[in-house]
Amino acid sequence: MKLEDIVEQIDLLEPVPPIAAQIMALTEDPNSSLEEISDLILNDPALTANLLRTCNSAFYSLSRRVDSVRDAISLVGFDQIVELVLVNSLSTNFKKELVGYGLGERELWRHAVSSAHIAGTLADRFGASQSKHLIYTAALVKDIGKLILGRFVAFSYEQINILVHSQGHSFNDAEQEIIGMNHEQLGELVAKRWHFSKKLTYIIRHHHLSDEAARQDLETALVYLADIICMMMGVCTGGDGLCYRFYSGVLDQLNLSEQDLQGIIAEAGKNQQQVEVLLNL
Amino acid sequence: MEQQQMKTNAVSMMTAVNFSEMKISSNPAETLVAFSIGSGIGVTAFDPVSGFGGIFNFMLPDSTQATGVDPGKVPLMFADTGVPFFVKALFEQGAHLDRLKVVIAGGAHIMDQTGMFNIGAKNYTALKSGLAIYDLEINHEDIGGTNSRTLSLEIGNGSSCIKIFGQAEVKV
Repeated sequence: MKLEDIVEQIDLLEPVPPIAAQIMALTEDPNSSLEEISDLILNDPALTANLLRTCNSAFYSLSRRVDSVRDAISLVGFDQIVELVLVNSLSTNFKKELVGYGLGERELWRHAVSSAHIAGTLADRFGASQSKHLIYTAALVKDIGKLILGRFVAFSYEQINILVHSQGHSFNDAEQEIIGMNHEQLGELVAKRWHFSKKLTYIIRHHHLSDEAARQDLETALVYLADIICMMMGVCTGGDGLCYRFYSGVLDQLNLSEQDLQGIIAEAGKNQQQVEVLLNL
Repeated sequence: MEQQQMKTNAVSMMTAVNFSEMKISSNPAETLVAFSIGSGIGVTAFDPVSGFGGIFNFMLPDSTQATGVDPGKVPLMFADTGVPFFVKALFEQGAHLDRLKVVIAGGAHIMDQTGMFNIGAKNYTALKSGLAIYDLEINHEDIGGTNSRTLSLEIGNGSSCIKIFGQAEVKV
């Protein structure tokens, strides 16, 4: 199997809507304003309509009807609006079935939105509120490489599985050994093709923390932590299961005790209802 | 035609049991399923005489350790509060505890997740303690490792099935 054949498949993905890339860029820019973001949303009528419909749904139980994007931002909150817009714009690719990873339709999407939600909570908790949108987005799109690698994993699953269960490889190391590329590396290529920011691309490339330097990076570490929490909770975990490395040093750096970890899992379980709302968009 | 339709429905009736939930049924056409169990554990219990059975799917071992949630509102999230809740519900439906066939699956861990952070192993210990209070024996278990599992219970015949992606289904 040639690596070029795999990379070529990037072109078969539904291109990410320009508005999603623009919003991601704006939310990472400390100089951007609420007005810029709301103007950007207003330029997309379908997105605006969807946003207003969601904000007026029973889930938010607002005291009055939301009839403009600015209204939505002030009533529902800026963070929530950005999350709604990103989820809305990025869902098409992620909702597809991924045979190689044993994930049915919408399952990778459920995993992605759940881990993004957890990552957002972790950002607040660990003093990374300023990069909350980056962390949320990174957790949402970190497995983008799986969208392409899935069909190659399907052909090689048995060989990968032997390396994982007989030789103790992590699933991504086994992907690299058997296929020649893992879903982090492929995700990096997709991110570059779609002009994601350097930092977002970095987190996608290193979200399993195989690289030691990435373990020192707070944003990447929080995306990693959200991912393993999702795996432990069993939110649409596929054929790769929990076959990734656990780095207790990362939890030590965050001063996270076992009790804290259990508390985060419990809270994430409780918040799953909010995730369901986003999933039904 | 109507009979054929009913038969089709009977075959396909599947009820998902999410984490921190339980479902109990005596409908012979129903299969209860807990999909994608990670470090949490799925427990099936079936009484062949009354025909009642259920699945309980919990995430964490100890309700006193988890901050940020009220265990009174989510007792089924934890082994220590969930087991009594599940057992009581089965008992109230007429299931006899000494007839219950119990199968458990899950308790997985991330690779190298050893010691205090191995919540899967703690879940297993907490579950065994919880079941022991009612003298409930585990008839079959598939615990630990790094795979996620799907556990189901066919109410019609009391069979539990454990499925790991890429492996044959184990029926007990």
